[in-house]
Amino acid sequence: MLASTCSYKIKGFIETSFIDWPGRLTAVLFLPGCNFRCPYCHNADLVLGGHGLPTWHLSSILERLKQLRGWVDGVCISGGEPTLQSYLPEIFALLKNQGLKTKLDTNGSNPEMLEGLMDEGLVDYVAMDVKAPLNRFAYAQCTGVIPRLENIRKSIHILMKGNIPYQLRTTILPRLHSIEDILRLAEQLRGAMDYKLQNFNPGRTLDRSFQDESPYDYTTFCELQRRSQNIVSLSGLPLAVAGRGLEVRLQA
Amino acid sequence: MGTLAEINKMAPASASTSREREAVNETTDMALFVRTSQEDIMGWDRKRIVDALLRETFIDRDTAENISCQVEEFIRSSNVKMVTGPLIRELVNAKLLELNLEDTRRMHTRLGAPLYDVDQLLVHPNKENANVPHGPEATNLTLAEWIKKEYALLHVFTPEVSDAHLKGDIHLHDLGFIDRPYCSGQSLEYIKKFGLNLPHSLAMAKPAKHPEVLLAHMVKFAAALQSHFAGAIGWDAVNLFFAPYLEGLSDREVKQIAQMLVFEFSQQAVARGGQAIFSDINLYWEVPKHFADVPAIGPEGKYTGKTYGEYEQAAQRFVWTIFDVYKEGDGAGRPFFFPKPLVHITEKFFQTPGHMEFLHHICDVASSMGNTYFVFDRGDTAKISECCRLSFKLEATDLEDAREPWRMRYCALQNVTINLPRIAYEANGDDTKFFTLLNDKMKLAVNAHCQKKAFIEKLLAYGENGPLALLMMDQDGSPYLRLPRATYLLGMVGLNEMVQYHTGEELHQSPAATRFGLKVIAHMKLLADKLSKQHNMRFVLEQTPAESTAYRFAKLDQRYYASAAPKVIKGNLAYGEIYYTNSTLFNVSHPMNPIERVRAEGLFHPLIEAGSLTHIWLGESNPDPKALADFVIKVFRWTQNDQITFSPEFTSCRDCGKTSRGLKEACPYCRSKNVDGITRITGYFTKVSSWNKGKLGELKDRYRSKIAES
Repeated sequence: MLASTCSYKIKGFIETSFIDWPGRLTAVLFLPGCNFRCPYCHNADLVLGGHGLPTWHLSSILERLKQLRGWVDGVCISGGEPTLQSYLPEIFALLKNQGLKTKLDTNGSNPEMLEGLMDEGLVDYVAMDVKAPLNRFAYAQCTGVIPRLENIRKSIHILMKGNIPYQLRTTILPRLHSIEDILRLAEQLRGAMDYKLQNFNPGRTLDRSFQDESPYDYTTFCELQRRSQNIVSLSGLPLAVAGRGLEVRLQA
Repeated sequence: MGTLAEINKMAPASASTSREREAVNETTDMALFVRTSQEDIMGWDRKRIVDALLRETFIDRDTAENISCQVEEFIRSSNVKMVTGPLIRELVNAKLLELNLEDTRRMHTRLGAPLYDVDQLLVHPNKENANVPHGPEATNLTLAEWIKKEYALLHVFTPEVSDAHLKGDIHLHDLGFIDRPYCSGQSLEYIKKFGLNLPHSLAMAKPAKHPEVLLAHMVKFAAALQSHFAGAIGWDAVNLFFAPYLEGLSDREVKQIAQMLVFEFSQQAVARGGQAIFSDINLYWEVPKHFADVPAIGPEGKYTGKTYGEYEQAAQRFVWTIFDVYKEGDGAGRPFFFPKPLVHITEKFFQTPGHMEFLHHICDVASSMGNTYFVFDRGDTAKISECCRLSFKLEATDLEDAREPWRMRYCALQNVTINLPRIAYEANGDDTKFFTLLNDKMKLAVNAHCQKKAFIEKLLAYGENGPLALLMMDQDGSPYLRLPRATYLLGMVGLNEMVQYHTGEELHQSPAATRFGLKVIAHMKLLADKLSKQHNMRFVLEQTPAESTAYRFAKLDQRYYASAAPKVIKGNLAYGEIYYTNSTLFNVSHPMNPIERVRAEGLFHPLIEAGSLTHIWLGESNPDPKALADFVIKVFRWTQNDQITFSPEFTSCRDCGKTSRGLKEACPYCRSKNVDGITRITGYFTKVSSWNKGKLGELKDRYRSKIAES
C-alpha cells in the first residue's frame, strides 16, 4: 500500500482546521489542478498545477493523523478541483479504512465522480461552490471559462436528493456579484439544506487585477447572508417578497 | 529612560527635598541666590547644607560643617549669581563621594528626572505598558512612577536585590507602584452587603436597591481599588451575584445592564494615568458548587430568603446577554478590550442544562471577537481568576469563607520574574551549576518579596489614617486586605531559550527538551513550596505576562552576554525587535498545530499554581464556533491545560470607521492606510501601535493557526 500511496499528488496538508466542517476539527488535503480560472481565486499555485509546491506522501499524512486521533476525526479533500484526479476515490477509501470521516470540496463540475463517491459511501459531507447565478454569462464571468452548466445543475441535484449532509456556498464580491445576482442565485438554490455566503478577502489573487478589489462591507455582507439564507430555506416565498426592501436598506 | 541608567551607574544625584531650602548665610557677602524647590528664591545660607545633612543622615556635625564650607567656596569661586537647590545637593553629594562616605551619600541622594527626559515624556507615548494612553494623566503617572521606582530601588529593597533587578537577573514588577499590592480579586457581595463606604470619601452610599446602582457601586469600587493595586481587579461569579437584582426584569432591561457593565469598564479612562481599569469578570453557566447553598443577598443588602442555587436561570440569562454585548463589539464593531470575560468550564458545567448552546454562543464570540477566556477547573478545584493569567485555587479555608462570600478577597502582593536564559549562559552547560544558580535566583526573588512585604506592612500599620486606609477598612471583622493570606508570585521568562541554550534544543524540538523544561519548572515549584514553609508566606509560580520584561531581559542579555545570548534570542536582531519567549510557552513562530500546543504547554500548567494560559493565534481566520466548542471540550477532557484563549487580529480604519479581520496595511474597504491594528499583546487586546519593540518582534513571528481559503 505504501508504494501506491506515493503516486498521489498531494500538494498541501493542514493538520487542524476550524473552518472546514461545522462542529468538527478537520485536517485538509489539497490536490492540484482545476478546470476553472476564477479571477479572485486565492489558491493560484494549486490551480495552475502546484508544480512549485512540495508533494506530501499519503502514508506520512496517515501516520500524522494517527497521532492526532480523537482530536481530528475528519479529513477534507480540497483543491484545486479534487474531482479532476482519477485517484480521488482511492484516497477517500484509504481514509475511510482508518475510520476517519471524510469531506469533499468541489466546484460541482464532475457529477459522475460525485455521485460515485456518494453511492459508495466514501464521503460523509460535501461542500460545493456555486460561483454565480446559474446562467452561462454570469458563470463564465466568475469562472473564467465556458462552463457546462448542466453539470453544475446535476451536481446540485445529486446533493439535494442524496442522503448525506452538504453545504452550498458562494464567494461574493461587488465587482462580479450584484446584490440582484446574489438574491437571484439564492432563489435558484431554494430548498438546499445549507447555504452560505463567503465574503471576498483581498489578497494574492489568480488575476492580479482583483487583488485590491473591495469586498462588501461587513454589515451589508451580514444582511445579504441573512436574506440569502432566508430565501433558500423559505421555499414557498417568491423572490419579490423575500428580497423586498433589501436594496433600499443596503443602499441607505 | 535616563533614570534607571542613572541609578545603574550610581551617579551622584542632585539636591533638595521639598521641606528644605538651601540659602545664603546673611553673614557672608555672597550676592548669590538660590532657587528652591518651594518655588521661591532665597539668599545663600551655608547652614542649610549642614541642617540637611544632620537631618537626613548619620554624619557628624564637624564633617557636615566642613563639607558645607567647601561647597560654599566652590560656588564662590565659580562666580555664578543663581544656583538651584538640586545643584547644591549634587555638589554636596560629590563631596561625600570624595570623602568615601557612600552610605551618607545614599541617604542624602535626590530623586528626580532630567529636563530632557521630562520633555521627551510629555511629547512621546509610553510603550512599556500598552494599556497606558498618552496624555497629561499618563505622563503624571509616568513621572510619579520614575520617582517611586528610584525610591523602591534605593530605599525599599536591599542593594543586592536592586542590583539584581537593574542587571536583569530578576525583574521586580511594578516598581513604580511600590506602595501598592499587585492585584486584587473579590466578589460583588462586599458592596452588596456594606454599600459603598470608603474611608475619607465625601459621601457614604447604603447597599444598592437597583441593579444600575449596584453596577455604579461596582465600577466606583473598582476604580478605588485600581488606585490601590498595581495590577488587575478581578470579580468572582459576576453574573451569579448580580442575579438577585435582575429577577422580573425584561430581556431588554437585562441587555441594558449588560451593555452598561461592559461599556462602563471598557470606557472608564479614569484609573491611574488615564488607563482603563484592568478588569476581569469571572462568569459561570452553572451555579458553582460552593455557592449553591449560600443564602443570596439582594436589594438593600438584605437576604432574599433564597439560595444562589435558586438563581441559576437569572444568572444564565445575564451571562448569555453579556456575551451578546461582546459579540456586537463597540460602537465601531471592534472587540472590547476590557473587562476580560473568563468563563469557567467545570464538571458541573457539563451537567447543567443548556451548556452546549451556551458553549456555542461563547465560542461564536471567541471566533468573531476573541474575548472569551476558557478557564478549566477540573475535578473539585474551584478557582478565581484575576490578572492576565493569575488565578487562585480555592483552598479549604476559602471554601469556608464561601458561606459568607463577601469575605472572599484575595490579593497577590508582588510579582518577581526570573530571567531563565541567563542562568543557562552562566551555567555554561554544567547541570549542577545550573540548578545552584536557579536556587540562588529563587532565593533572591523571595528576599525581594520579604522586603516588599515589610514595606507594605509599614504602610498598613498607619491604619485607617494611613496611605492605605482603603485596604485597612474594616467592615466585617478583618481589614479589606487580608495580608496573611496574600500570595507572592514567582514568575519566569524564557524557559524555551534557557532549555535551548542548555540542551541545544528548543522545547518543541524533542521530548527530551520538553522533559528538561518540565524538570526546571518542577524544581522551581518544589523550591517555592520549601521556601513557603520556611518563611510562612505563600510563594507560587506564575506565568509572567511579561509585556515588557521579555524585551528588557533580551536587551540586557544581548549587552552583558554578547556571545551567548544572540544564539537563542528571538525576533529581529538587526531591528532591535528582540524578545524571549514568555514564561513556559513554546516558540511562538513554530508551526505547531493548536492541539499539540495546548497539549504540550498544558504539561507545565499543573506545576504553575497561579494560573497559566495557552494562546491560539487565529490571525485572519474565522473559525466555525461549533468546531471551537468541540476543541474546547477535548482540551478540558484530555489535557492538563489550565486556560486557553483564541486571539484573532483586526484592522480598524480611522477614516471609514470599519473593522476588518487580520492585520493589514490598508483598510480593505476604503484602501486608507490610516489604520489601527488590534490584537492581544499578552493577556489583553490593544492597538498594535502602542506596543514596545520586543512585542512587535514577537507579533511578526507568531504562527497563526492555518486555515484553508477557498
